[in-house]
Amino acid sequence: MDFSFPKEYQLFRRVVREICDTEIKPLAKKIDREHEVPSELVRKLASLGLMGVPFPQTYGGMGGGETGYCILAEELGRVCSSTTTVVGAHIGIAAMSIHLDGTERQKQKYLIPLAQGKHIGAFGLTEAAAGSDAAAIKTTAVRDGNEFVINGTKVFITNGDIADTIVIMAVTDSSLGAYGGITAFIVETASPGFSIGSLENKMGIRGSSTAECVLQDVRVPKENVLGRFGAGFLTFMKSLDIGRASLGAGCLGGAQAAMEASIAWSKLREQFGVPVATKQAVHFMISEMFVDIEALRSLVYRTAWLIDTHQPHIMEAAACKLFGSEVAGRCSNKALQIHGALGYSRDCEIERGWRDQRITEIYEGTNEIQRIVIAANLFRPYGVRIPT
Amino acid sequence: MRIIVPVKQTLDPRGITVRRDKERIFVNQEEYILEPGSKAAIEAALRLVESAPEAAGGAELVALCVGKAQADDALREALAMGCDSAYLLCDKAFEEADVGVTARVLAAAVEKLGGADLVITGRESGDTGAGQTGPRLAEALGMAQITDVYNASIEEGGLRAVRRWGEGYCAVLARLPAVLTVAPRAFPPRYPHGARIMNAYREWQVTTWGAEELGLDEGALSPLLSFRRESFPPPLQVGEQFEGDPAGMAQDILAALRAQKIVR
Repeated sequence: MDFSFPKEYQLFRRVVREICDTEIKPLAKKIDREHEVPSELVRKLASLGLMGVPFPQTYGGMGGGETGYCILAEELGRVCSSTTTVVGAHIGIAAMSIHLDGTERQKQKYLIPLAQGKHIGAFGLTEAAAGSDAAAIKTTAVRDGNEFVINGTKVFITNGDIADTIVIMAVTDSSLGAYGGITAFIVETASPGFSIGSLENKMGIRGSSTAECVLQDVRVPKENVLGRFGAGFLTFMKSLDIGRASLGAGCLGGAQAAMEASIAWSKLREQFGVPVATKQAVHFMISEMFVDIEALRSLVYRTAWLIDTHQPHIMEAAACKLFGSEVAGRCSNKALQIHGALGYSRDCEIERGWRDQRITEIYEGTNEIQRIVIAANLFRPYGVRIPT
Repeated sequence: MRIIVPVKQTLDPRGITVRRDKERIFVNQEEYILEPGSKAAIEAALRLVESAPEAAGGAELVALCVGKAQADDALREALAMGCDSAYLLCDKAFEEADVGVTARVLAAAVEKLGGADLVITGRESGDTGAGQTGPRLAEALGMAQITDVYNASIEEGGLRAVRRWGEGYCAVLARLPAVLTVAPRAFPPRYPHGARIMNAYREWQVTTWGAEELGLDEGALSPLLSFRRESFPPPLQVGEQFEGDPAGMAQDILAALRAQKIVR
């Protein structure tokens, strides 16, 4: 058993860290305040292959697999969760779903520009009445000759307003329900009838846009059906399963940054004539952070290894998302406590980390859904069926 | 056109602590990096090729490194940055090499490769900072040399370089082949593309040459320098400090500059 990263990943991490520290960290506060990840930054990441890390080089990707993608997410998570979210929605669910279920033609047409970062991707599942209950979506796609006509409104769509390509889940046969009645479509956002409604004013990850996407008689050719017709539920479940490992990696980066900042600050901050780093109360908090972080690191990269070696990974990926978001929550909370009133200040990155972290317990399947996913997989061999 | 870039691997300074009081350097984390001056040399070579693709005529960039087996990583990073091939010059007989021997080893490798139109290296390395490899290599190869280069371009029949000259700069023209040593600050290195990082380890090769392959005998490999002990340079002389209100301090500074006849 060898727990060290292969050398290409060691060099990749070193380079990504340098990029994050030099190019992104100085912008993180501005990204949060001005609610925008600058498009020049996204272009720079694209020019270095970072918008297509997991995908094969034959499709314009970097060839880094899930392990490479988790390294990217972790390092981005250390400096700017808004950027992590923009990249995560693009790679982890939008491009990933085409990579997993796309035909050769779809990959040539859509995956390559996405992996090269020439196009930005988004993933449209959530609706006003369908969040955790994904099967309750109301958006419809009706066959008309060689095309489908899509109507409906998607909400909370990360990258919705900046995307060129969006994967949309729509009901194609309401009598068949989740399995059989929902189909995934690749939609070009330049299509007539596609428009952006309101943008969310969020608590955290404020630099990543969260848009309402309105589809009114949007026509897509039948070649743009992604995966099997009627099997859209499987398409998004597969993509979300893999996306969850990298979400855990982003949380890992955020938690690590919170711990490092806490150590540095407690060394500087003096109370009662000594640095608070000498106080056992601080030692305990920092040690607990370390244990959480190391456990998460092992879980994340073992899950990435399971994915890269094509082994079952659904429960582990759900655990990455569930445990990762909770670790990020605990660590950012402890870091804020160690920083005291300073940590509560808008000028302190700890405050931003605390706000940014909260969404990770909610998006891409709430933590409650992750628990159900894990339970369903655990109970299945015992003949107990839990619907997910 | 063949451009050869000799590079160096050094300890990552982030992993070391310098203790002046104990006159020692402590290595807390033994991690090695492709040294910043070498990255600048690769960057300078890449810019030359990119700015004059026709003059460079399908240029081939070759990285060389004298070092132990672990220097393989520095060469992989050179490949990731954009070099086309990489050679590790590694032999037990090179371990005691001083800068003169290093230059002879590099020169032997350049000749084995069939010569070069340009050799570009860092002005000095981040560790020993001797700044001798480039000039000694130029001597060994019998090539023109331009040191401390801030800007270079390929022109008809040769090379135009801007180098430091006293307090300013001067332009130098040279016929090829030539050796350039570049100022690190003038060529901030690019980040390697992610796919090249993967390929540098998975797809591409680093060739290793020893003393035998390079045809170097004991005579060529015996160092002129011998190591006695290392010591710290004297502490930097800090300038005079002025205190007071801004207007008063300005007057004091002016008086001091006048006293030294820096201003009238």
